[in-house]
Amino acid sequence: MNDFNRNRLVDWALKLYVALSFGFIFAPIAASFVFSFNADRFPSLPLGGFSTVWYEAVWNDPLVWEGLRNTLIVGIVVSVLATVIGFGAAYTDFRYRFFGKTVYVALALLPPTIPVVILGLAMLAFLSSTHLSGAIYSVMIAHVVMCAPFAMAICRLRLSQMDPSLEAAAWNLGATEWMAMRHVIIPFCKPAIFSALFITMAVSFDEFAVAWFVSGLNETLPVKVLGFLQGQVSPRINVIGTFVFIASMTLVILAQILLMKRSAAPAGGAKETGAVTP
Amino acid sequence: MTDQPLVVFDGVVKRFGGFVAVDKLDLDIRKGEFLAIMGSSGCGKTTTLRMLAGLEAPTEGEIRLGGKRINDLPTWRRDTPMVWQSLALFPFLTVRENVEFSLRMRGVERTERRKRVDTWLERMQIAEFADRNVAHLSGGQRQRVALARSLVTEPEILLLDEPLSALDAHLKVRMQTVLSNLQRELGITFVYVTHSQSEAFSMADRVVIMSRGRVEQIGNAQEIYRTPRTRFVAEFLGSSNIFAGNVSNVSSHAVTISTPAGEFEVAPNAARPLAKGDKATFVVSDDRMHLSNSPPVNGLNRLETSVVGEEFVGATAIIHLEGAERIEIKAQKSHDELGELDLEPGTKVWVSWSPEATHILPRE
Amino acid sequence: MRKSITLYGLTFSLPMFVWQAAFFLAPLLFLIALSFWSVRNFRMEPDFNLENWIRMLGRAVFWQTYLRTLLLSASAAVITSALAFPCAYGIAFKLSDTARRWAIFLMVIPFFTSYLVRIYSWQIFLSDNGIINALLAKVGLGPFAMLNSVFGMMIGYLTLSFPLVVLLQLFSLVFVDKTLIEAAHNLRCGRLRTVFEVVVPASKVGLVIAALFCFILTFGDFVSPLYLGGGDPPTLSILITDTTKSGQQWPRAAVIALTMIATLLAIAFAAVSFAYRERGR
Repeated sequence: MNDFNRNRLVDWALKLYVALSFGFIFAPIAASFVFSFNADRFPSLPLGGFSTVWYEAVWNDPLVWEGLRNTLIVGIVVSVLATVIGFGAAYTDFRYRFFGKTVYVALALLPPTIPVVILGLAMLAFLSSTHLSGAIYSVMIAHVVMCAPFAMAICRLRLSQMDPSLEAAAWNLGATEWMAMRHVIIPFCKPAIFSALFITMAVSFDEFAVAWFVSGLNETLPVKVLGFLQGQVSPRINVIGTFVFIASMTLVILAQILLMKRSAAPAGGAKETGAVTP
Repeated sequence: MTDQPLVVFDGVVKRFGGFVAVDKLDLDIRKGEFLAIMGSSGCGKTTTLRMLAGLEAPTEGEIRLGGKRINDLPTWRRDTPMVWQSLALFPFLTVRENVEFSLRMRGVERTERRKRVDTWLERMQIAEFADRNVAHLSGGQRQRVALARSLVTEPEILLLDEPLSALDAHLKVRMQTVLSNLQRELGITFVYVTHSQSEAFSMADRVVIMSRGRVEQIGNAQEIYRTPRTRFVAEFLGSSNIFAGNVSNVSSHAVTISTPAGEFEVAPNAARPLAKGDKATFVVSDDRMHLSNSPPVNGLNRLETSVVGEEFVGATAIIHLEGAERIEIKAQKSHDELGELDLEPGTKVWVSWSPEATHILPRE
Repeated sequence: MRKSITLYGLTFSLPMFVWQAAFFLAPLLFLIALSFWSVRNFRMEPDFNLENWIRMLGRAVFWQTYLRTLLLSASAAVITSALAFPCAYGIAFKLSDTARRWAIFLMVIPFFTSYLVRIYSWQIFLSDNGIINALLAKVGLGPFAMLNSVFGMMIGYLTLSFPLVVLLQLFSLVFVDKTLIEAAHNLRCGRLRTVFEVVVPASKVGLVIAALFCFILTFGDFVSPLYLGGGDPPTLSILITDTTKSGQQWPRAAVIALTMIATLLAIAFAAVSFAYRERGR
């Protein structure tokens, strides 16, 4: 690139803007973390002393534990179900062509585009009328609907990195479809499957809106947080937020490591196109 | 063509990190000439073109356009329009909008713009597509749009980066004619980068052959073909037979060179005075080789070979032969010339050539 | 590709279909039916009458709320797109490959943090005796009332959609053919002008999709309007949550929800048509 085609000042200004943008994005997260250790009840500057009193308060709060228990149970069940369903759909998209396939794929991937308020209301009404509402499995049902698309996308991406003739080669060598699935496809997709398990769990972990509609009295943790939000200033939110953040991040990082380590194809990220070779 | 060259590359070096793409380039480009820069990938030809356009900056050296140094000039202030290999037509604009782009950038007002664009659309015979989206045109039509877009400002020089490489064979030949005629009509300088010998030799006034960032030879088609300057050029052309050996005798009218395949009489090259014992390489063009089933007459260099195969190239054929010490020989002859010869693989054939048909390489 | 239906094929394809049909499609269809139910004596009864529709769509308050929500989301889409663009542009064109991958990774992190907790943090930042006012007080400014206002709501909307918009714009910008930019420079187009003449048109699809997603997200969000915007006057999403939780007026909530869906479909269709429309014949 010709040096005189660039303007140093503009380049630095843009980089600064990117840094500021990240500042905006992470400021609330960082603040939450910092203030969870703040002795003062009303978070402001200057900071009060360092204190773990809020952590103790949360530790001793049975409501929080109940919410956490529900969240974990829901998270685990949802991640397994969503991954199984999502993988199946990804494989279907990968291998088969059939009449109405576009509708099938659209149905599978549409849920994240519907506003959660509407989804929540629809679920509440429907599950109530079928007497499936207000229980812990109500949240599970709703979350599988919302998380399966993510699992499908992750598995589909991984499948697109596989040479499509691998499966046929296995058949050619005497493997039945089931055997090929067991010995070729699933091993290849393992990183994606684990990644989907973690990511769907993380998504379920943070989902508050639909859960708020359908959980009734079996509130998950995010729904409890929503409740806290309506009350007075409550530093417990910071504690819960910090905890949830660490948990989610661990899951996501694990998923990323898995995807990058096992993947034979180059890792994602931007690639330049259209470059003229020198 | 006037005295002062239009473009001068003065000691230009371009490094990308540790890799030297262009190594001390000294090149003059004359006004009104069609110059081709030829070489295989990675030889530095495209980098040279891009430096002229301002898309790369030279690491060392100076580039002058019309006598003025342009190293520090950003791309949009130079008048060096370029046609890309991919054509780089704007897919979100119509044909007309593509062609008028640079006029719009210069602030030419609308009626004047429309007039000039229409003239060029007519000239390139694409007026009927004026309001079409460029994505809906054929390869040849898109080529013409790219040319019109670059030439609408009537520049002094046009740069072309392998624009024909994506076209099929017969379209390529047609576009070559279009380009040659265009250049002659407009009288402007064309700098044309390619890896194809046939393109370079058929269109250009002068050809620059580059390898590994260096200029191997500059000259017109005849010169390069008959008198390649270095072994690289000879090999690159692919039509020369190369013999390397040591000088065993020097006389006023001939040099005798002893090679593993035999001893041969070679015409002396004033550019390369030789003494006994010197290493020397000489070449013989493949169309200067005679073939016969019986030993040739005296006075000619000769070599006994066996036929390896025959390759058809339109009206001629290239016969591949193998001689002593596994030396490979090529002879290109018309079908008439080949006539009655027995050319079954394995047949013994005499290859001969006169000393006048040889050329000693001035550089090893 | 096998044409016949096999048990093997069904084992993998059916679960998704059955689940989404039963628990995604059916509830949405049920919502339509629900909007025609009647409410008598605080109980819902299956019915087919247009009362809910007439009642809701006949109210001026509803339309005011509708237009307000539409306007707020449209503004959010425009503002977020404009604020995100320099960031996406910087990441796409001014960072090294490694730095870019890190930037993308960092940009994905917010999706896995609790939106609620971030909004709570913003409450802390923006409140009258919060962090920002405390800082401003040090230089003798303020205090400014930033909560319970449109400004607060916009900050919330940004928190919700900024990372997604940046990522969507980024993926589009990164695939812009670099030779088009070089060609524009070559044809006398300067740096800044090239951004508007070439980069933006070439990445139009991604930019429009990004704005569309921002619109969809903010249109349905109730957290920002409620906790940073004060909740009064309400948005459509707040109307739904209020109507649902207080009393059994689900049919009315269904009417609001369906109006929202219809609006979103229309806007999505318009946006995608615009994004993919070509110049010229």
